Amino acid sequence: MTTLTRQDLNFGQVVADILCEFLEVAIHLILYVREVYPSGIFQKRKKYNVPVQMSCHPELNQYIQDTLYCIKPLIEKNDAEKVVVVIMDKEHHPVERFVFEISQPTLLSISSDTLLSHVEQLLRAFILKISVCDAVLNNNPPGCSFSVLVHTRDAATRNMEKVQVIKDFPWIVADEQEVHMQEPRLIPLKTMTSDIVKMQLYVEERAQKT
Amino acid sequence: MDELYLDNIDEYVNDHNKIVTYKWLSLTLGVHVNTAKQMLFHYLDHKRKESSAQLHATYLVSGKSVDKGQTSHKVSVVREEQLEDCKSKMSLIVSVHVYSVQKALLKDSGPLYSVDYDAVKDNLKDCSRYSAIRCADAVPMSSLELQQVREPQRAPTPEPEPKKTATNGDVANGTSKPAAKQQKGIMGMFATKAAPKNQDADKEVKTEQKEDAPVVDAPKSKPAAKTNPMTNFFGTQTAKKPEKSVKQEEAAQSSSTAEQQRQSSKPEEKPKAAAVEAPKTSKKDSSKTKRIEDSDSEDEIMEKKKRRRIKKPEPDSSDEDIIPDSPQQMETKEKSPSPKKKKEAEPVSHTHSHSDIKTRKRRRVMKSRTFLDEEGCMVTEKGYESESYSETEDDFKPTKPALKDPVPAKLSLSSKQDEKKSQKKTSANANKGSKQASIVGFFQKK
Repeated sequence: MTTLTRQDLNFGQVVADILCEFLEVAIHLILYVREVYPSGIFQKRKKYNVPVQMSCHPELNQYIQDTLYCIKPLIEKNDAEKVVVVIMDKEHHPVERFVFEISQPTLLSISSDTLLSHVEQLLRAFILKISVCDAVLNNNPPGCSFSVLVHTRDAATRNMEKVQVIKDFPWIVADEQEVHMQEPRLIPLKTMTSDIVKMQLYVEERAQKT
Repeated sequence: MDELYLDNIDEYVNDHNKIVTYKWLSLTLGVHVNTAKQMLFHYLDHKRKESSAQLHATYLVSGKSVDKGQTSHKVSVVREEQLEDCKSKMSLIVSVHVYSVQKALLKDSGPLYSVDYDAVKDNLKDCSRYSAIRCADAVPMSSLELQQVREPQRAPTPEPEPKKTATNGDVANGTSKPAAKQQKGIMGMFATKAAPKNQDADKEVKTEQKEDAPVVDAPKSKPAAKTNPMTNFFGTQTAKKPEKSVKQEEAAQSSSTAEQQRQSSKPEEKPKAAAVEAPKTSKKDSSKTKRIEDSDSEDEIMEKKKRRRIKKPEPDSSDEDIIPDSPQQMETKEKSPSPKKKKEAEPVSHTHSHSDIKTRKRRRVMKSRTFLDEEGCMVTEKGYESESYSETEDDFKPTKPALKDPVPAKLSLSSKQDEKKSQKKTSANANKGSKQASIVGFFQKK
């Protein structure tokens, strides 16, 4: 019943927490649906009241958590423009890119009553869309790997360094070859608009994958 | 006019890339479920003849199957490729119909549930208005009746209970007479209906008593979380909890699900796998905190039961494998709260062991162990392990350290002596899980 304003320190953290939770689930789901890892390591769990696939492998989970832990401060300050999950083939050329474009309204005052279930519903729709995305995408070649890129606004990476030191999880500026893809095809998947965040998910796919 | 629906379905499937289940279609177009099933079938037929797009379909098969001499009624959702295989395994097929049509080849059943979730949620009060299942006795309880049910939890159960004990007993025993000792009325219901309208998007086994059991469960123990327990009978969203808790009580046969081959190599944890649940609770915290708030005002016993119920859907949401009887039977026992066990009238068959003494028992629990083998490879094994527990223990307790709410602290205080043992075992894992507690509960803490 309290209204939160953007200036409220809690607000940024709240949104960042929600988004990071969602991104974690989404990354696991992308790895499952695109068969980056064998499906045996995945286990069904529940999120937003629907079943989702999460991996059981501790190192993979730790990697994803560390990644998102470092991204969180950027999201809090609304510095992260895009979070991209890149799937690369054996030669480290990107084959697919799942782009989450995130933007938060700057001036906002919301009431939290209906917010929770509404946002949950929207995120559920994202999850569902990722599950069926392989209808519109071609199959990936075997032996793919993935990485997570963050596109930030301005020079926000200075903040990242502080977090890196704490976590011992270094981030580096991405190579050109990882960022750009040859002949990309754009497939939009889902968009959501809510009081606290606007998010868009689309997939860039390389025209020839093998 | 009659052909318009083909275009509608075409639009949903091809343009929007949706998964079209018959239930979603019936709620969206406002038609009876049987009509929706026929629509899907015609659409599929039509498209296959044109052989234009690549479409996949899942089917719901329901019928009798004989397994090790026991007959049971099995309902399963299978992929098209496995349809014939599944049909041949059944001794008697009651119904086969299209469950969903989609463009993508689904790797698992999760999305099928998600599809219906929002549609059912929007129509929570009358999501069964197009359903083919009817029961004249199932009417929502008035709030007065609800009060009466909640308060005298220890009082003798209402008289419908004994009538249903036979059913419950069958449900609970699992090994015994599932299909044989059917009440005529229920059999008749199943014989006439084309297919049970079930919210079984999770593709789990049902026996015929399943339809009755939620009715029993509802007046017996569960306070209405969101809607009336009786309306839960028709399978609304919240009803999934009592229904799923009943599913665990059921016969050991599991459905031949679409992923059975895959799952057979990866046995799903079913009953309280404490080790794995700790990290899981952090995922569930968002939904759980909501429900915990609901039960704050009620007394502790209600909270205990409620928490048991919340716990149930989680393992239930995973696909089932062939599950040995014992874990399920133990769970059946836990479900009946301890006061109830004092009643003779209470279905003794509900609990396998001593119904009036709280003793420590061992049960087999599916636990996940991660370790390094000789080659230095990390191996995660899911296996049954014996775990000691007592009847008053809550399944939920191993995850308590992970929760931040004050309410669980209350519980842990009361039954601490019973729980110490298992808490010790799982505390390590629980601590890991606490790292990821959701703060979505922030919104509820008013």
